[in-house]
Amino acid sequence: MKEPPSSWEDGSPERLYVITGGRSGPSTSVQLDLVTLVVAKGPPRPEMQPEQASILRMCQSPLSVAEIAAYAGLPVSVVTVLVGDLMAAQRVHVRPPIPTAKLPDLALIEAVIDGLQKL
Amino acid sequence: MEQRDIPPETARPEAGAGRALPAIASLAAVCLVGALVSSSEPVGTVLIAAGALCAAAVFVEALRRGRALADRTARIAALQHTLARQETEATRLSAVVLPEAIDRLRRGEPAEEVLTSLGGRAGPGNRWGSDDALTPRFRTALQGVLAHAVDAVDNEESLRDSAQRAFVNVARRVQAIVHQQAHEMREMEDRHGRNPDVFGDLLRLDHGTALIGRLADSISVLGGSRPGRQWSRAVTLYSVMRGAMSRIIDYQRVELHSVSEVAVVGPVVEPLIHTLAELLDNATRYSPPHTRVHLTAVEVQSGIAVEIEDGGLSMSEEARARAERMLAQAQSGIDLNDLGETPRLGLAVVGRLAQAYGFQVSLRSSAYGGVRAVVIVPQHLITTASAATGLAHGIGSSSGPRAVSATPREHPVDAMPAGVSVPRPAPAPAPGPMPVADGATTERTATGLPQRRRKDRLTTTEVRPAARPQPADDNGPGMWLEAFHSGLSGEPGKDAPGAQDASGSATKGA
Repeated sequence: MKEPPSSWEDGSPERLYVITGGRSGPSTSVQLDLVTLVVAKGPPRPEMQPEQASILRMCQSPLSVAEIAAYAGLPVSVVTVLVGDLMAAQRVHVRPPIPTAKLPDLALIEAVIDGLQKL
Repeated sequence: MEQRDIPPETARPEAGAGRALPAIASLAAVCLVGALVSSSEPVGTVLIAAGALCAAAVFVEALRRGRALADRTARIAALQHTLARQETEATRLSAVVLPEAIDRLRRGEPAEEVLTSLGGRAGPGNRWGSDDALTPRFRTALQGVLAHAVDAVDNEESLRDSAQRAFVNVARRVQAIVHQQAHEMREMEDRHGRNPDVFGDLLRLDHGTALIGRLADSISVLGGSRPGRQWSRAVTLYSVMRGAMSRIIDYQRVELHSVSEVAVVGPVVEPLIHTLAELLDNATRYSPPHTRVHLTAVEVQSGIAVEIEDGGLSMSEEARARAERMLAQAQSGIDLNDLGETPRLGLAVVGRLAQAYGFQVSLRSSAYGGVRAVVIVPQHLITTASAATGLAHGIGSSSGPRAVSATPREHPVDAMPAGVSVPRPAPAPAPGPMPVADGATTERTATGLPQRRRKDRLTTTEVRPAARPQPADDNGPGMWLEAFHSGLSGEPGKDAPGAQDASGSATKGA
């Protein structure tokens, strides 16, 4: 009987949904995007999931989510879930991306210009 | 003893002689009466002579009859003996020979061999051939019965064999498709990893595929084949356990506790994953949906004990005995036809795998109130975690080569526990190491024993001062955040080296 192709010998027996616990995005309200910088608050603890532990080790100095994903060989969504968990456990700091909505809108700027010109 | 072969009709002539006797006797009587009645001497003499002759004839006949009677008695005894022998042989055929033949055929002995050794064929092993008490006809009949029975059983067995092979064949194909699909699924997950919605859907599909794969594996195992794919390299126990979790429906309810840092040798990786998956499936299926199932692995004298405890209903002693019996039954070989509904399927698979690969499986009552299943993996199937590659779990696979190239191996202590700590000193001698490189190397084998982690911590604090100032000088992206972090962690941020101290102390504090 033919065995499955040998390329199957590589890889790991565990699937990504076990690593994320079935979640596809972070549970926290904080948005994590590719350029969000993550830095560990301390070294990993023994009881941590290996992936989280390695993120903590990687993030001894700040690292973006995209970089973490690349070094860990995991999809970005998985990394965001893991980082989200670490945030919830107060193990990492993140610099949240600048929300575009916070940029003042055009009308306001025009109003300011108008006001300045009236001076 | 040819008289046994003579058909019963041979008795007829004697019956004729029997009828002749009264005639001779009456003739003798007539002669005697004639001799008495007649007065003439010659006539009397003749009559007396005739009477004497008749008496002699009667005497001779009586003698002959006596002999015949003795003969007949002997023949009856011989026939009775034959009958008893035949009865014995017939009984033995049904009580001993046939069951033995069927049993040997079931165990896979060739039909011809069984038939010869049990006397179904003329030859040295023919147990009926040398028996004088049995007629050739009876012998042939016995052999015929045996041959027919053996033929029938053999046909049945080969039919079942081919059915089983067909099962296994189909299962193999399903397995191949599932593996291919899982592989592609992983690629898709990487590709669409940035879109949480698509990614979530992919994860669900992936999970479903894994469940199908487990079923196919079960069929394959029950058909006497091995489960699923083969692993040429050792895989860490942690990965094996998570692999088992990934194959059950309620994996989110499984709580994975501390795992000793060992690896399982390649050939038993898949069987162990499958065994644990079946036990976990039972545990999650038969405990309330809100309870957790605890999965731990500890070292014991004889190897590694993997424990699965659920908080479901406790098994009664009777139920436990039944389950254990089922396991034992499965270990001695199972019949696909004997299998009932799903839970029995699971235990049957577990029993079969345990028997084939030398695991010990036992079911006990759990302290949590449910069932506690313990799988003991013997020592010779266990290897050190360093034998397992960094690929054991998905993470770090891409950074493996990089870590190796940057390894100068200066700490003799670190050389011993291999994988984890060897690359650790790398950042210190490297001229301008990105902190990233450090992370990439250290995360290489991330499953861990507590003490190994502690060593991590020590090494990290030693190495840090040398490595740290450079990134600080670099003013690389995000360095401001580190300063911010140092401030947060309570240290007075003096200047760039100060920041490094701060992170060091934070490290120690944690």
